[in-house]
Amino acid sequence: MAEVSYIKASRVFSGNPPVRAVDELSLDVADGEFLVLVGPSGSGKSTALRMLAGLEDVDEGAINIGGKDVTNVPPKGRDIAMVFQSYALYPHMTVAENMGFALKLRGVNKAEIKEKVAEAAKMLDLTKYLDRKPKALSGGQRQRVAMGRAIVREPSVFLMDEPLSNLDAKLRVETRANIAALQQRLGTTTIYVTHDQVEAMTMGHRVAVLKDGLLQQCDTPRALYDRPANAFVAGFIGSPAMNLKTVPLTSEGAKLDGIVVPLSRSALDAASSEQLAEVTFGIRPEALALVPSGDEGMEMTVELVEELGADALVHGAVKIGDSSERFVVRVDGRTPPSLGQNVKVVVRDATEIHLFHPESGARLEA
Amino acid sequence: MRRFLDRYWYAYAMVLPVVVVIAVLVLYPLAQGVYFTFTNINEANIANPVLDRPATFDVVGFKNYLNVLSGDQSYGAFWGTLVRTLIWTFSCVFFHYTIGLGLALLLNRQVRGRTLYRVLLILPWAVPGFISAFAWKYMFNAQYGIINQFLRSIGLPDPVWLGQSNWALVAVIIVNVWLGVPFQMVALLGGLQSIPGDLYEAAEVDGATPWQRFVHVTLPGLRSVSSTVILLGIIWTFNMFPVIYLIADKNPNTRILVTYAFERFFSGASRDYAVASTYGVLILSLLLVFASVYRRALRKQGEVW
Repeated sequence: MAEVSYIKASRVFSGNPPVRAVDELSLDVADGEFLVLVGPSGSGKSTALRMLAGLEDVDEGAINIGGKDVTNVPPKGRDIAMVFQSYALYPHMTVAENMGFALKLRGVNKAEIKEKVAEAAKMLDLTKYLDRKPKALSGGQRQRVAMGRAIVREPSVFLMDEPLSNLDAKLRVETRANIAALQQRLGTTTIYVTHDQVEAMTMGHRVAVLKDGLLQQCDTPRALYDRPANAFVAGFIGSPAMNLKTVPLTSEGAKLDGIVVPLSRSALDAASSEQLAEVTFGIRPEALALVPSGDEGMEMTVELVEELGADALVHGAVKIGDSSERFVVRVDGRTPPSLGQNVKVVVRDATEIHLFHPESGARLEA
Repeated sequence: MRRFLDRYWYAYAMVLPVVVVIAVLVLYPLAQGVYFTFTNINEANIANPVLDRPATFDVVGFKNYLNVLSGDQSYGAFWGTLVRTLIWTFSCVFFHYTIGLGLALLLNRQVRGRTLYRVLLILPWAVPGFISAFAWKYMFNAQYGIINQFLRSIGLPDPVWLGQSNWALVAVIIVNVWLGVPFQMVALLGGLQSIPGDLYEAAEVDGATPWQRFVHVTLPGLRSVSSTVILLGIIWTFNMFPVIYLIADKNPNTRILVTYAFERFFSGASRDYAVASTYGVLILSLLLVFASVYRRALRKQGEVW
């Protein structure tokens, strides 16, 4: 059990120019918290995790585990356990040997190792497979062995590097829930890296979004969804992605296809204090709705309908100024519009509109 | 049968040339060699078309085998030679493997000029065998050789390397080790590179020291490569003729089974083809038995991956 903090920690790869894979990351993780690091590939999330594991140098700043500075401590001395994307199971050892390896190195006596391995195996439903080699296991079973290897250690922090990305979709959803439940039960501080925002949202107590080595925002899943700090987070969190368009501003609101979408006073004030003629206007597909053709709204030509069963995603073109912009609307799955049809779209609720600075992408406070 | 031929004639036609070549180049000489072991064939009684002389050798049954296996001095002291062959083989393969592994480990990390080292270390392999053999022969020269000059300069005794003593065996082992290391190094380097890096990281996080990582990750990861290259090394060294022959010639202190077979075949008062063939068949049988035992032992240990 331990809290973890990154204190302006950077990892710089030499090169010309040098690459700041992780740039002054500052992050505090509470004891027992499940924190997810999420970002697109190349965002530095894995590097950040590996820095915590001690597999990657910390070039600037510091990392603390349990209040102790571990910046220059080798992995062995950090009391952590890591689950790798490839699982990294020792191919010549049985499941039991794999799980007990760390304890064996630590000189724990055989009876105790056996007991702990049996306990973890029971927890993960692996008892039947203890004598098998990893080669003879399915992907899901290997994943559980990798988890078991971490659990047996009883470390103060779990590190997981995309542990589900090698599983098929169905198993991933299942295992996702199992890992979250297991973490709840063990109460061990966990740092979890993924590129999948659904995983991040469903598993994390808090989610840290990274891009190009920079921390964009770290908050609860709800807060990330409701109040993204910038246009990148807004576009990254939520599926399908938020509609983000640059639109001209008037004194009342944002101008879209002839209609003016009213904006809150504070948002308009923020924009006018920066003297912006345009803003990046963000609206989630689920915050848009179709209305009867007589009503007032944006005119949209349907170009693609993706039926998901419970609902359908309608992709269509809306005129903004001279150009035609693509919007996605989430509608009821039973009555989707047909291809080529012209529909009217309105914003369900003005509070669901997000405004960002057109250049910096920063949220214009509302 | 007809349908079978109709259907597969093409495959058989494609395979036929290889079968013919193998039969002519391998099976026929092998069968003839085995036949010779049951005769008293030598230079005096073999058919000689130039002299228009017909073959006059006789079938003598197992006499050659009995003579050779009696270990008699005049038949090459089989058992003593076998022991020397084993000493030669296992010391060579031991040093091939350990030195090769050591160099492979050094080359498998990021060092500046790695490619250059790699080329330099493969060089012994690229030089034709007889050139390196002669170069070593001069280096081992008791009086002028660089090795003895060096030993004298640091005040160590300078043995007559290639004389009638066991130093000659040590000398040929040194040369063969030098020649054989590059192959082991290249093969083991390939094996090392096929071990996934995250296994080392997992072991590091599990708390393994560098030595424990070597024992628990590297060595098991090299198992399949090691077992293959050690088997090949043993077979090749067991039959390594040129190094010994070119460096020590017919020195009885470096005599191994193959060099004796060669001696018996090409020199002596009468070239004794029968005894030479008997040695050849015995060598083949020994290696076949060894290879099958070795493979069975590996399988029992559970060759995984």
